[in-house]
Amino acid sequence: MQEEALGWVIRTRDPDFVDWEALTLWLEGDPARADVYDALMAADTELDNIIPPEPVGMPVAANDPGEPQRRTWRWIGGGAIAAALVAAISVGMMTRADIYTVSTRPGETQTIALEDGTRIDVNGSTTLRLDRNDTRFAALDSGEAAFTVRHDEANPFRVTVGDAVFEDAGTVFNIVHTSDATRIGVSEGKVIYNPEAQAISLPAGRALTDDAQGLRVMDVAPAAVASWRQGRLVYANAAVGEISEDIGRSLGVRLTATPGARAMRFTGTIRLEKDQARFFAGAAPLMGLRAIRTGDGWMLKEGNGPQS
Amino acid sequence: MATGLSALFMANRAALLRFLRARGAGENAEDMIQDMWMKLEAKDIGPVADPLPYLYRMANNLMLDRYRSATRRERREQDWAEGAGGVMADPADDMPVDERLILNQTLDEAREVLRALGPRVELVFRRFRIEGVGQRAIADELGVSLTTVEKDLQKAYRAMIALKQKMDTA
Repeated sequence: MQEEALGWVIRTRDPDFVDWEALTLWLEGDPARADVYDALMAADTELDNIIPPEPVGMPVAANDPGEPQRRTWRWIGGGAIAAALVAAISVGMMTRADIYTVSTRPGETQTIALEDGTRIDVNGSTTLRLDRNDTRFAALDSGEAAFTVRHDEANPFRVTVGDAVFEDAGTVFNIVHTSDATRIGVSEGKVIYNPEAQAISLPAGRALTDDAQGLRVMDVAPAAVASWRQGRLVYANAAVGEISEDIGRSLGVRLTATPGARAMRFTGTIRLEKDQARFFAGAAPLMGLRAIRTGDGWMLKEGNGPQS
Repeated sequence: MATGLSALFMANRAALLRFLRARGAGENAEDMIQDMWMKLEAKDIGPVADPLPYLYRMANNLMLDRYRSATRRERREQDWAEGAGGVMADPADDMPVDERLILNQTLDEAREVLRALGPRVELVFRRFRIEGVGQRAIADELGVSLTTVEKDLQKAYRAMIALKQKMDTA
C-alpha cells in the first residue's frame, strides 16, 4: 500500500494531474489508504527542508548522437517554501505556462533581467516564480523583491502575491510577502492593486499593507522603497516584528524577537552591515532594544540596558 | 466568483463530496464543501485553465491542511511537555536552534543520497520537486519516456523519504 500511495503522491503532485476520480476510487478501496496518503504527502512537504540547494549539471548520455539541442538550464534551488494552498492553486491555474522558480538563500540577493527589459532585484530568503512563456508575469510566494518594470500599456506587468494581484503602470516598486502580511511600496510610476476587484491605485510615494488588521494605504518616502538594494532599511513607524524579518532576509541571519520587542515600533534608517556583531551593536539600541546571541542566530529583546 | 466556476462547483458537488469522504473527511465532508464554497465566493479567482481539477486540488489541499495542523498540534503539545520549565518559544518562529544545527548536518547526507541516485534521477527529481515541472514536460525535455521519469521519481522519493524517516527517528 505504501508503494501505491507513493505513486499517488507523485501523480497528484504533478501540476498536470487531472484524474481525481481514479484517486477517489483507489481511496475508497480501503479506508486506511487515506492515512497513508496523508502521511506521505506531509513527508513530501517536509522534504523542502532537506533537499540541498545545489545546482546539478545537465547529464549527457554517453550514446547521444552529436550535440542535442542545448537548452540553458538554470538550477536555482534553495529552501523551497512548503507548497502552501495558495501556491498549489496557482500551479493549478497555470498548467499551460512554463513556470520556473527562483529561490534565494537567506542573505543572498539576485538580479534577474527579463527579456522585455524588466529587472527584478530579489532579496534573501525569497521564492519567486516566473514564466518562460510570459515575461509579464511574476508570482512572489514569499520574501521580498523590487521590480523595475518596462511599461507596456497594452500588456501590463502583473505580480501575483497570495491571492492579490499588483499591476504596473510604469513603475518601480517593492513587495514583501510573509506568512502574515503583504507590503508594497511604490517609488516611481504607479501600481494598481487587484485591478479586477478593489482597483486601488498606488502612485509613487504610496504604500499598501495587507495583514491581520486588514488593508491599509499610507505614505512612504520614495527613496525608502527597496532601500535594501542600497544597504539601508528605512522605516516610518514600523513594527519591530516586520523589521526583524527584513533584517533576517537581508543579512541572512536567523533573527527572532520576543513578543514584547516585536510589538515595538521604529522610525529611522538602519544601515546594513555584514559583520553581525557590529551591526547589532549599532542597530539594536537604535530601535531601543538589545540583541543577544542565541546559538546560530540573534534575538531582539526589550530594553537597551546592560545585559543581565 | 466566476459564474462558470460556481456552476461547475454545483454540478460536481456530489463528486467532490465523495472525494472528501474517501479522503477521510467523514462527517465533516459537508462542512468542508461549505468552506470551499465560501472560499470560492470570497476570492476573486481569475480564469482557471482546468476548472474541475482545480476544485479537486482545492479539496485535497483542505484535507492536507487539516492533517498537517492535527499533527502539528500533537507535536507542539509534546514539545511543550518536554520543554516545561524552559522558555516557551514564540510559536510563530519556525524552528528551534538545535534542530537547525542537526538539519545542516543532514543536508550533507541528503546531498549524498541524491548523488548516489545518479545525475538523471537527481535532475528529474529536482525539476519536478523544486521547480514544479510536470512529468510529461520533463520527459520531453530530457528526451526520455514518461515511464522513465515516473520510475526515476519513485526511486528518488523512496530514497528521500527513507532518509527523512531515519532523521525523524534518530
